[in-house]
Amino acid sequence: MIGGLQLRKWALASLLVAASAAHAAAQTQTGTLIFAVESLGGQTLDPILEGRPGNAVYQAVMYDSLVGFDFAKGGVGPGVAERWVLSADGLTWTFHIRPGQIFHNNDPLTAHDVKFSLERQMAPNSLAAAAAVMRRTIKSIDVVDDLTVRVNTSSPQIGLPAGLSRAVAPEGAVMPKNYLEKVGEDEFRRKPIGSGPWRFVRSVPGDRLEFEAVSHAHWRGRPNFKNLHLLLVPEESTRVAMVRTGEAAIASIGPETMLSASRSGLEVLAVPGTMQAIYQFYGTYRPEFKNSPVANPRIRQALSLAIDRQQIIDHIMNGRAKMPFPFATFGYTEFLSHERWDKWAREAFRYDPVMARKILAEEGYPNGFELNFANTALPGTQYMVDIGTAIADMWTKVGVRVKLRHYEWGSFPPLVRGDQPALAGGGSMFRTAGRPDIPWRYNSALNTEGVGERLLGDASTCEASCREYLQIHTDLTAERDPVKRTALTDRMVEVVANTWLVVPIIEGMGYYAINSRRVGEFAAIPGRHELGDVFERMPRADQKPWKK
Amino acid sequence: MLLCLVATIVFFLGRLTGNPVDMILPEDATGEDRAALIKTLGLDGPLHEQYLIFVGHALQGDLGTSIRYRQPAVDAFFSRLPNTLAVIPWALLLAMAVGIPLGVVAALNRGNIIDRLVGTVAVLGVATPSFLLGVLLIFVFSVELGWLPSGRMGGPSHYVLPVITLSAFLVAGFARLVRSSMLEVMDSEFVKLARIKGLSETVVIWKHCLRNALIPVLSLWGVFIGNLVTGAIVTETVFAWPGVGRLTYEAVIFRDFPLLQATIILKAVLILSINLMVDILYAYVDPRIRLT
Repeated sequence: MIGGLQLRKWALASLLVAASAAHAAAQTQTGTLIFAVESLGGQTLDPILEGRPGNAVYQAVMYDSLVGFDFAKGGVGPGVAERWVLSADGLTWTFHIRPGQIFHNNDPLTAHDVKFSLERQMAPNSLAAAAAVMRRTIKSIDVVDDLTVRVNTSSPQIGLPAGLSRAVAPEGAVMPKNYLEKVGEDEFRRKPIGSGPWRFVRSVPGDRLEFEAVSHAHWRGRPNFKNLHLLLVPEESTRVAMVRTGEAAIASIGPETMLSASRSGLEVLAVPGTMQAIYQFYGTYRPEFKNSPVANPRIRQALSLAIDRQQIIDHIMNGRAKMPFPFATFGYTEFLSHERWDKWAREAFRYDPVMARKILAEEGYPNGFELNFANTALPGTQYMVDIGTAIADMWTKVGVRVKLRHYEWGSFPPLVRGDQPALAGGGSMFRTAGRPDIPWRYNSALNTEGVGERLLGDASTCEASCREYLQIHTDLTAERDPVKRTALTDRMVEVVANTWLVVPIIEGMGYYAINSRRVGEFAAIPGRHELGDVFERMPRADQKPWKK
Repeated sequence: MLLCLVATIVFFLGRLTGNPVDMILPEDATGEDRAALIKTLGLDGPLHEQYLIFVGHALQGDLGTSIRYRQPAVDAFFSRLPNTLAVIPWALLLAMAVGIPLGVVAALNRGNIIDRLVGTVAVLGVATPSFLLGVLLIFVFSVELGWLPSGRMGGPSHYVLPVITLSAFLVAGFARLVRSSMLEVMDSEFVKLARIKGLSETVVIWKHCLRNALIPVLSLWGVFIGNLVTGAIVTETVFAWPGVGRLTYEAVIFRDFPLLQATIILKAVLILSINLMVDILYAYVDPRIRLT
């Protein structure tokens, strides 16, 4: 009897020891997580000197953003600020800072750091993309107390919190005021300090960035690995080779590599909703193109009907892409009637070459017409060239004679400026990145002034749909009521979708090849191609093996 | 004079094909964002004014600040140059070690199967693109056999594949040059005299013939080293090697004008200096040059 009791005690003690050992193992930060990526941008750790992709890939690991992510659905969620409130007059946003946050030198993160960081992003020497807009829209920033900061704007800025979320832009990165003022900019750039779950260790220009996990609990998650190395490996086949040999745990890849990576035993992760591959038409509203076939919305609709999107998804994207929502909208887009647009897109973006031919004939082009089309691909989306070539072939099948010209991305944006002589009256491939707020993207494509794409009209020619769009966009930027905001967004999407001027082809994804012996199973943030905010959530292979 | 021409061409050619602002800003940036950034980067003046400022600064040794890396472009170049120079001597050495004997063997077996084999190797070496060779080597020696790392700088094993890739083109060059040069020398009077004197064939070929056959090869060293410096762009990209080749590639893709100008001008200086040194060395090795 005594023996049985003792045995049970021993068994219980053993279980407790085993459980605590397992718990300790789970808490231990060991090993090095190695990520091979095609670009490290400017490889600078100063947030005011880097653009969105670089910030999202490597600055995100060591800096927290004022507004963060909704990790499950994608889009905007809590960050350094746990909540934010708009004043009754719509002119002041109050951000409530999460208590207990510290920088890597153990200084507390306060509202003073937030004010300092936003003002630094807006400074004349800042290369931040939104610096000019911030200077224009933000009137002043007040620190109410250590955990409360107010941003006063010159006009209602409903989208301000989204603009300070890393889901949208990098300008919300919070920098350490006291440290930066004490050591100066040059020293800060050599030895940067942030508040993220990884602290900076070393930067080898053109080669790699090294980080070390913080040991304390962090609201983004406590890293499971001790070290994080981000390697710059521009050539995709080399990146995949490194993952296969175990020299790297994860590598960014394109859809064309997915099948071979998968066949060679690697895990392939597809991040949904990171971009839309689109095509668009330029200057169709101008008097000189009044009689051009692409000035006719029905013909533009026929061109969309001639595209077999499923073929593109199956054969170019290897099945790892989706039918798109309307232009610049995704499953996580805020203030949008998703079901309505999902249903609309299924019908509108169907493949119907018979109908396409019928419309062309009805509109006076039974034998088709000649179309100038510029093919290009943004860095990291080389498959867009294949998509552009494929849709040109599909248009040829319904009788359109496509004159296809290829442009390296660096030489393409200047064509969109000014009078667009190389593009007006024709179309081109383009892309839109996955973001939760759409007015910003619509503005760059459809605004009639400035240097955007000006697809609907310009300062001299702005017809009915153009004027309606401009009015909705203006109303939308100031509308606070969520129901009215959704109605306005829906109407804006509808007006633009019916023009068939800017047309989605597929909703793309971000793709990664993964060595399952080097890292455990993890999920990316929907709509977020880059993994800078995900590394701390990645388990080691022994903690969470990949399901076969 | 040549450097001024190179600098001017690079300055205007770079600006013909794009703008760094478009590379920095996202596709949904506004005109206001763009105008502000153009001003911040100092690209808002007329082109001729920008050129005069560039020339003025260049004459003082200042080739501008890299737009992408926010550091003096000259510093960026010289921080990467050692990485490229770490590979080039080994590639040159390997190319000579393989190419010169191949050329000699081909010359000694003129017209027969061995000569044709060497010719085939030479043609393959010249015709195989570096990126293809590099990727093939990675697949065989890193992925399949697991003998060597796939890329990046590191210990001696990291050098093997990039050095082989870089030297492949030169092996072919050396082999063809040495072959033709050897054939010419083997017909000369002093070689016949050496044989009449009763010297062994090995001494005649490897001492008298090869030594003289290498003199014209030396004159092409400058060209070969130039090829290595410029050809490193592809090899460094495939093997993720952080040298000046990849820096140039990044400067072109990003339209980083100051960095592009600096890398091209400094590479031109480097190649001109090497050619000058080779000319001096040539005069030292071949007394006929000094006499003329």
